[in-house]
Formats: sequence, structure tokens, C-alpha cells
Amino acid sequence: MNKTRLHAIDIAQDKCIGCVHCMTVCPTKAIRVKGGKAKIIDERCIDCAECLRSCPHDAIHTHTTSFDALSAFAYKVAIPSTVIYGQFGAHTLPNEILSALRVVGFDEVYDPSAICELNTAAVEEYLTEHPRPRPFITCTCPVVVRLIQRRYPALTGQFLPIEPPREIAAKILRTILPRALNLPPEKIGIIHVTPCPAKMVSINHPASLKKSYLDGAVSVRDIYPEVLNALRKSPDEALMRHLFPETLFSGIGIGWSLSGGEIRGLKKHRAVAVSGVRDTMRVLDEVEAGLLQDVDLLECTVCPDGCIGGPLQVEDRFLAKARILELIDAAGDRAVVDQKDVSRLYHKNFLSFDHPIAPVETPPLDPDPAKAIAKAQRRDRILKKLPLKDCGVCGAPDCRTLADDIVRGAARLADCSFVERRKKKKEKP
Amino acid sequence: MAGRAVFRQEFSVKGGDFAKAGAVACRIKELLKELGFDGQTVRRAAIASYEAEMNVIMYAWEARMKLAVKPDEIRITVDDKGPGIPDIELAMTEGYSTATPEMRELGFGAGMGLPNIKKNSDAFRIDSAVGRGTRLEITIHLNGHRA
Repeated sequence: MNKTRLHAIDIAQDKCIGCVHCMTVCPTKAIRVKGGKAKIIDERCIDCAECLRSCPHDAIHTHTTSFDALSAFAYKVAIPSTVIYGQFGAHTLPNEILSALRVVGFDEVYDPSAICELNTAAVEEYLTEHPRPRPFITCTCPVVVRLIQRRYPALTGQFLPIEPPREIAAKILRTILPRALNLPPEKIGIIHVTPCPAKMVSINHPASLKKSYLDGAVSVRDIYPEVLNALRKSPDEALMRHLFPETLFSGIGIGWSLSGGEIRGLKKHRAVAVSGVRDTMRVLDEVEAGLLQDVDLLECTVCPDGCIGGPLQVEDRFLAKARILELIDAAGDRAVVDQKDVSRLYHKNFLSFDHPIAPVETPPLDPDPAKAIAKAQRRDRILKKLPLKDCGVCGAPDCRTLADDIVRGAARLADCSFVERRKKKKEKP
Repeated sequence: MAGRAVFRQEFSVKGGDFAKAGAVACRIKELLKELGFDGQTVRRAAIASYEAEMNVIMYAWEARMKLAVKPDEIRITVDDKGPGIPDIELAMTEGYSTATPEMRELGFGAGMGLPNIKKNSDAFRIDSAVGRGTRLEITIHLNGHRA
């Protein structure tokens, strides 16, 4: 695991052909095509993986923990995302999937739905105790955290400061397992199984913790073939799991991977769920303009339909969603967590952030205010010369961004082929 | 010399254009961030310009919104052609609203628009002529530090 890597996404230069697909879909305009290859601007990238979804040449790679790297741990624990329950068809029960993860090589596997329920209960308690500000924003999606830090810095104070289930689960296990197993803590690997490359970023560079409680994140895509194999090989095991289910799933927690899943269990508060990166940005614009103050909690996830639409899941998103809905139906609103336990952990600050999420300032046009204004004026003048076709041939996603790059010294007007052609026509009438 | 640098931009807003609600406020916000204003100053400007833009969309026929930015001061002026406000003092009262039930359905018309603009600006002027239109002048000073 490379702890210094800022992002979980990069572009394989040998596969990239320098087309403009990734650049034009990037919501933070973090990609440029220079010298025939797409490159990511680290400071602007929020790891949303829109580029990954759009690349026709499989040139965008993600960096999650490889299963082999886990051999460094004497004892390996998996905390899968609830997304995993939707990956293996309509007849595979959550218990079979957890059991298959053990066959694959994890020493222990924990169902996340109970911890999701615990989180919802703690969030409810926090909202009751804190009438302002409104709306609070959930921090489960690491991309939303990074988006708000960079594009909506004034909203960082509105994150509801309770850690997401994956960190809470890991923290609980990190507290109890070394003693229970009589192993030194560093020998125990606590691993998230996820459809989301950004979880890797939140593990390596946590925004609200001194250090993540997780040791890594294995992608659903990487582990899928082996889990599928394990499921196929053990029909007897499957029968046993059907007849003797040993884990009680939380009806409140099991739907967490769907948009709205985080807020479904709230009883006393008004909450709204938004999914998809562009819709999330639109709604955050509204919050920044002072709207939605009658909403207690805003759940934002940048993947379509929530984590179930994560780029590293395997099953068709709509089938996966249908399966999760079946499981929600089957579990009803069964609660498995004792509210008193939640309250105790909550009041011990066991579930809280270590520190508030800080804004990450994006560089203005110029640190000198008068010069910044001059540059904005120049940018407007440049924009008037550009064709506004947003073709991307210059290597910037649109004309406005090219003008911005020019005044920031990162591009030249001559990069625009329309401008160049016009110039040549004038030279040779 | 810093005092002379002024960045100006003009936007037009059409009455009744709910589909574009908030677009101008959003552009203003982006610009101010790029010019290096701190988060709180940007947010005040965003809230004030959003409310002003919505007032045009809800009540007026059309308007020009002008942004003028100096290194330490933001001025937003809104000139609308519209019905005008007969009693400005009343319109400035928190909770007073002439919003139709349809507007209220959309979550507007809490009677906080103009008072909210005033609250988020350091200087605020409003002039109105019934049957002709309304002019707002919103001034926001840089809130101490820069980003």
C-alpha cells in the first residue's frame, strides 16, 4: 500500500490515447490532455471515478488493496460494504456471502448492517441534541467530503461529526480483537470490501481522524471471482446457511448502500437523500445559497443510486438494487442494536470525529486581490476570442477552462485550433 | 492603486424562469471564489444574490444583475422591470410575503427574502417605483481575511 498516494485513481499512460471522454465528464475539471495523454490535476481531483466510468480504453486504473498484500497480517478481518449482498443473484443469502468471504481467506467476516443501524441511531441522537446548523450533511461518502472541502469550504462546518459505519466497525474490532485473539494489534488486518476506490483515499488520508481504523480496502471487483467460486463449490454449506442463519441482519442497516439508506431509519427528523455527482453539486449549491434550512439531514452520495452504483461493483446496478430491496423487504424494520448501547458509545465520543473536517482552499486566480481582478478581466477578454464549442481539442475540457488555464499560466491561446486557423486565414488571404 | 481594480460582470434574469433559478447566484459565487474571497464572505454574497435573483424570477418581468468586485468590496445591483413595491417598509418586515400559493408550494414566500438580503449585506439600498420596477444595491465588505 502506498500511503503517500494522494488519489486512488490514475491514468495508465500506455493505454491512454488522449481522447477527451474523461476530461469532459470530470465534474471538477481536474483532467487535461497534454502531449496526447490525459493527466489528472491532483489538487482538483476528488476521486469520484466519473473518468473511470467514461474511459473507452480501460486506461483509468484504481488503486485498492490487493488481496495478496493481506498476507502481511496474521489475522485478517473483513468488513464488507452492504453492497456485497446485492452482487450474487436473487437466491444467495447474506450469510452465504459472508461465509464465502471466509473461504476466500478472511479469518473473520463481520456483517456491517448492525453498525449501519448503530450509526443511524447515533445520528438521530446528535440531531436531537444539536438544533443548528441546518442541514447537517452526512460524511459516509468520501468523495462528498473531498468535494465539500474544496468547492464548498463554507459548508465544512455542516458535516455531522459521527464517523461512518466502516470506521466505527473497524474501531470496535480494533478495540476488542487484540485482547480476544491475544495478538499484537499490528498483526490484525481490518479490511473494508468496497465498490468504491475513494474509500482507499479516506483510509490513507482521513479527513476527520488522526488515523483510519482500517488497514485497507479490497474492491468488490477484485474479490468477486473468488467469492463466486467459493459459493459454487459449497452447495451444502449454502443449504446449512439457509437452514441455520447465524447472523441477524438489521432491517434498518441492510439498505445503507441504496441512496436514502442512511436516512431510512430516522424517526424524528426530516432528511433528504441526493445521489449522483452532478445532482449532489447542484443541491450543495442550493445549501450554500442558504436553502434547505428546513431539512435536518442531507445524505449525499456521488455514485448513481448510492454506493450500489459504485464503480468497482460487478453486478448490474439495477439488479443489485432490486436484490437489496428484496433483502430490506425480508428484514422489515428489524432492529438489532440496543439504543442504550448506542447512547453510551455516543456519549463517550467513541463514534465522533477526532477533529472537524477542514476546508481545503483552492488557489485563487492570484494571491494579490488586485492582480486576481486583472486576471479575471483578462480571462473574459480571452474567452471572447474562443469559439465556445467546448471541443476539448486544446486539452482543456471547455473554452472557459482554457481561458482560465491561460491566465493561470498553464496554457496558451495558440492551443486553440480555431484561433490558430483564424490566424492562418488572416495571414494568407 | 488596488482601489482602482474593478471586475465587472452583467447577467440577465427573466421573470418566471424557475428552471434557471439560482444560476446567476451560482456564477457570482464561483467568480468570488476564484478572486480569492474567503468562504464566509462568498457565502453571504451567495445568499444575498440568490434571494435577489429569486425575487426577480418570482415577481418581476426581467432584470439586469450587475456584479462589481473591488479587492475589498463586492457590490451587486439588481435593476428590474416589474410591478415595484408599494410599501418598502412592509416588504422589509420578516415574514411579510405576497407569494402565491404556488410559490409557497415550491418552498418560497416565507417572507424572508428582502430581510435576508439586508442581513447578509453590509450596506443595502432599495428603491422602487410602482408599475415600473425595483432597484437593489447590495454591498458586502471583505470579512477581515482573504482565502
